[in-house]
Amino acid sequence: MTQFFVVLGVGMCVLVLLCLYRATYGPNVLNRAAGLSAIGTKTLIILLLMGVIYDRVDMFIDISMVYALLNFIGTVVLAKYLERTGEA
Amino acid sequence: MLVKDVICIFFMLAGFFFFTTATLGLLRLPDFYARLHATGKGDTLAVVLSLIGLAVYHGFSLTSAKIVFIAVFMFLAQPTATHAISRAAFRCGVQPWTCERGVLLEDDIAKQGGEK
Amino acid sequence: MTRDSHDVIVKTLARLLMPFMVVFALYVVMHGHHSPGGGFQGGVILAAGFVLLVISHGLEQTRKRMSEKVAEIISSIGVLIYGGIGVLCLILGGNYLDYGTLSKLLRVTPAEARSLGILGVEIGVALAVMAVMCTVFFAIFTAGESSQDDRSVK
Repeated sequence: MTQFFVVLGVGMCVLVLLCLYRATYGPNVLNRAAGLSAIGTKTLIILLLMGVIYDRVDMFIDISMVYALLNFIGTVVLAKYLERTGEA
Repeated sequence: MLVKDVICIFFMLAGFFFFTTATLGLLRLPDFYARLHATGKGDTLAVVLSLIGLAVYHGFSLTSAKIVFIAVFMFLAQPTATHAISRAAFRCGVQPWTCERGVLLEDDIAKQGGEK
Repeated sequence: MTRDSHDVIVKTLARLLMPFMVVFALYVVMHGHHSPGGGFQGGVILAAGFVLLVISHGLEQTRKRMSEKVAEIISSIGVLIYGGIGVLCLILGGNYLDYGTLSKLLRVTPAEARSLGILGVEIGVALAVMAVMCTVFFAIFTAGESSQDDRSVK
């Protein structure tokens, strides 16, 4: 079962690298923000998978909860900032 | 192999499939709104499925209750973030992808079909 | 132009999420010995709650609950709690922040006194970090407004 989680985590890392393309070369700031939000969502699952692999889920669950919270707030703040300044 | 392992593998693979679909949409779709449409729905479903799989694997405990709490939070927060950022894009004046390029593609396909 | 746009979806979610966020921040502060977390992280989550409040309900609504002046006072109180516990240990005959000596004052065993002392220091750190983060965010958030006003006046 651990091998399954390791393989799944490696696959998630490949997906994060693919999203990093959009976050790096996105045509404007909004595309980069969308890419960053997608990366944060995948990182949440990678953190939990690391917790399961190392058998310390009770430690990693708090970190991933904070990560989900800050990812949401960061995206909303970035959207509000772009809305105020009005430059895409 | 236990029953809960099978259920966990099923949910995790389904979540991974939707993650892959959302990433492909983020990379390949033509404009910002379409990309956001792919990640907004696909990532939310994938996160909820993966978290349900992990909660089933971990059994009935405080940790799995926290995982379910994260799933509920993501189910509420991810569409809200998507809505906020797409609204920002609309207010910044980002134009949606129009049909012209699609019509051009259809013409190409028709030409290829005519040649054949 | 678009400054006063209030988004009903973000507003509703902020109203729904704010109590859970504060409770989770308090859990992170209190549970710092056993799980990742502590005063700094809990303070950051508390400040993130205020940031979400500014984003969803606007600056004026937030200033009724946490203005710059209140933030300054709270940050001073946090530093005072931290330094006060340290100096209290000095007065009771130990080193700076040597919580074991607090057992004379609290009438508990030295081990329990260490746990309680660390908890008090964490609460002080959390208050200071929350207030300073709020001050920084207010400064950043209102900087654009004042410069725009200056530009429009000139």
